[in-house]
Amino acid sequence: MGNCFSDMEGGKQAVGAAQLRHTASGTSNNNNGGHNDAVDFFYKSRGMHPLFTQIELSLSASNLVDRDYTSKSDPMAVVYAKKKDGKLEELGRTEVILNSLHPAWIEKVTIAFQFEIVQPLVFHVYDVDTKYHNIPVKTLKLKEQDFLGEATCVLSEIVTKQSRSLTLNLHNKNGKTGLRNFGALTIHAEETVASRSAVEMTFRCAHLDNKDVFSKSDPFLKIYRIVESGDYVPICKTEVVNNNLNPTWKPLCMSMHQFGSKDNPLIIECFDFNSNGNHVLIGKIQKSVADLEKLHKGRSGANLTIASSHVGHEKVLKGQLFVDQFCQKEQYSFLDYISSGFELNFMVAVDFTSSNGNPRNPESLHYIDPSGRLNSYQRAIMEVGEVIQFYDSDKRFPAWGFGGRTFDGTISHCFNLNGSASSSEVEGVEGIMAAYSSALHNVALAGPTLFGQVINTAAQITGDSLSYNSNKYFVLLIITDGVLTDLQETKDALVRASDLPLSILIVGVGGADFRQMEVLDADGGQRLESSTGRVATHDIVQFVPMQEVHSGQISVVQALLEELPGQFLTYMRSRDIKPRSPHVAQTSASLLIH
Amino acid sequence: MESTSRTLEVTVISGENLRTDRKPVKKNAFVTIQTDSNKVCTTKMDADGGSYPSWNEKLVVDVPMHARFVTVEVQCKTSTGNKTVGVARIPISDFVGGHVPQSYLHFLSYRLRDYKGERNGIINISVKAKVPEYASCSSGTGMGMGVPLADNNFGGVVTGIPVWCTGAYAGKF
Repeated sequence: MGNCFSDMEGGKQAVGAAQLRHTASGTSNNNNGGHNDAVDFFYKSRGMHPLFTQIELSLSASNLVDRDYTSKSDPMAVVYAKKKDGKLEELGRTEVILNSLHPAWIEKVTIAFQFEIVQPLVFHVYDVDTKYHNIPVKTLKLKEQDFLGEATCVLSEIVTKQSRSLTLNLHNKNGKTGLRNFGALTIHAEETVASRSAVEMTFRCAHLDNKDVFSKSDPFLKIYRIVESGDYVPICKTEVVNNNLNPTWKPLCMSMHQFGSKDNPLIIECFDFNSNGNHVLIGKIQKSVADLEKLHKGRSGANLTIASSHVGHEKVLKGQLFVDQFCQKEQYSFLDYISSGFELNFMVAVDFTSSNGNPRNPESLHYIDPSGRLNSYQRAIMEVGEVIQFYDSDKRFPAWGFGGRTFDGTISHCFNLNGSASSSEVEGVEGIMAAYSSALHNVALAGPTLFGQVINTAAQITGDSLSYNSNKYFVLLIITDGVLTDLQETKDALVRASDLPLSILIVGVGGADFRQMEVLDADGGQRLESSTGRVATHDIVQFVPMQEVHSGQISVVQALLEELPGQFLTYMRSRDIKPRSPHVAQTSASLLIH
Repeated sequence: MESTSRTLEVTVISGENLRTDRKPVKKNAFVTIQTDSNKVCTTKMDADGGSYPSWNEKLVVDVPMHARFVTVEVQCKTSTGNKTVGVARIPISDFVGGHVPQSYLHFLSYRLRDYKGERNGIINISVKAKVPEYASCSSGTGMGMGVPLADNNFGGVVTGIPVWCTGAYAGKF
């Protein structure tokens, strides 16, 4: 964060594995070690996600169209993911059920749930001709089958329902039903059980080799999963222990969907940390989680090895790895909370400072293009809003502007975007867009750039909601073109809000130098400090500059959203708040008196 | 019945980056909590923790109504006696009042400063106000026990009135 000094503290942080401590300053997945970020991106862009939640879809249908003359239809369903370009990618198909208009298929289709994008799904139901009945379903050519109906939805629509089931009416391929009743399709989503198990281990090493000249090694561990191709996918790493050849690291918690299964081989490498980034490998070892459990039970150590000068040989080292603590636990997943009634409430604040440029000018960041091309503000609102709206039950979002001169001539640092004096809420993402456009006509751009009031207002709404229930988590999106005028005021507001169920996403638009803003995103390991000496409880802020990405695979704003489920879980787990059982959720809803 | 003090459950969780004489603390750090000049609560020592000790110890602290700060001090037991590592003065207003419910579990962290006033690590605690049993039945009185805590934003203590209260207070909503 400066000219000469690199981010040492950030580089030494533990990455990837949730560390279950009460004050969760180290638990978010986005502690960047720079080099690890690049490696993660490398794997992600090749489709190998180190972290994902697997969902199994079970399908059933009713009142299907009867195509066969002598008997009923023999239906099969196919599930597709709709890509950004509109193309359909097949995810899987069910088996064929003979002679039924109300099939309940057994074969499930698996899909990886990705919180940060909208995942549209398309379902096609076919009647499979008798002559194809004994052929494996995979080889069936769909063009040769009778089409029975189509349905579409978005994956988050299914998983946010309490029953995790969605029933859709089937229709013709061009979206019409006409006079005919095509029947209905019910999709049920289930997280694979593996997603819930987690393992917490405390690692220790003894007799490590000394790789530093004037002091002792500064060791840390890095754990990888081996994928089918033989590549190593990094899962997590521990923090760095300085100057110690017999270190004990803080407990690492890995969820099963990070390591696959208890028998999957993992590679654990022990490095000596060097501030120039060239960490020296001290030794490595290959063990599965089951092997590590045995090490713990037997209280024994396993020797690290290192490639020796003889090709193909591994030299056994004196250094040993011990597992001092091993604990398997069930952790509720993000979707467990969501389907039990927990919500994400979306709030947005837009920068109305004059540095954006006169909105009438096509160069302005606030220019509303008549051709429909979205400006940076609109894009950020859409990308975040479209994903989060499914998790917000009433779809009423508070929307504010800051730094603008309102109708009464005063500059406000938190005015309602909808122009109303009483309520800041708008309906749906369309409501935000409409309020934003009309505000551009009614509010003059002014300045300076101050976030404090918006953050305080958002914190107030968050705190007030806690009096009613603890199942709401709030997300504030601040879109700004410029650098803060009063950084300390913002830090103070953020520290005060850091103990609340609130995440703040800041998107920087335009070409300003946003380095100062990166201070707020405490990935460097420096917790935010207020002017009164209080330190932020959680790292609730994320900042990202929005670039003109035309053909990128992963949008920068998506990268922001990826962290949200983790932040949500950190808050809930640190307070031991569990998902509600459906019974409880219903009773509390009926007790709420307005 | 007026109470002259409030009860807090303070869990002293952990410390970070503690140093004495410019060197990291090796062991035996402990924490004291003080609300007025007489009463001091102390945690056990962390024998292994070094400069990142963890105590996870819950202390029940009585804070007089007029108190404005709770003083948290980290000390270290050495061969020559107890050394002060750092002190944090926590304003009561950080966990009383505000918008969250009274029984909210606050996770708070503070910068410690040593005897010279220089930064010396961070202390992590959690604070929960123990709501006394009778408060939930005291809807009859209606008014808060207001002793202003002399802070800018802070007006006074408010007793929450349940929404489903009927009778004389129904009209007030």
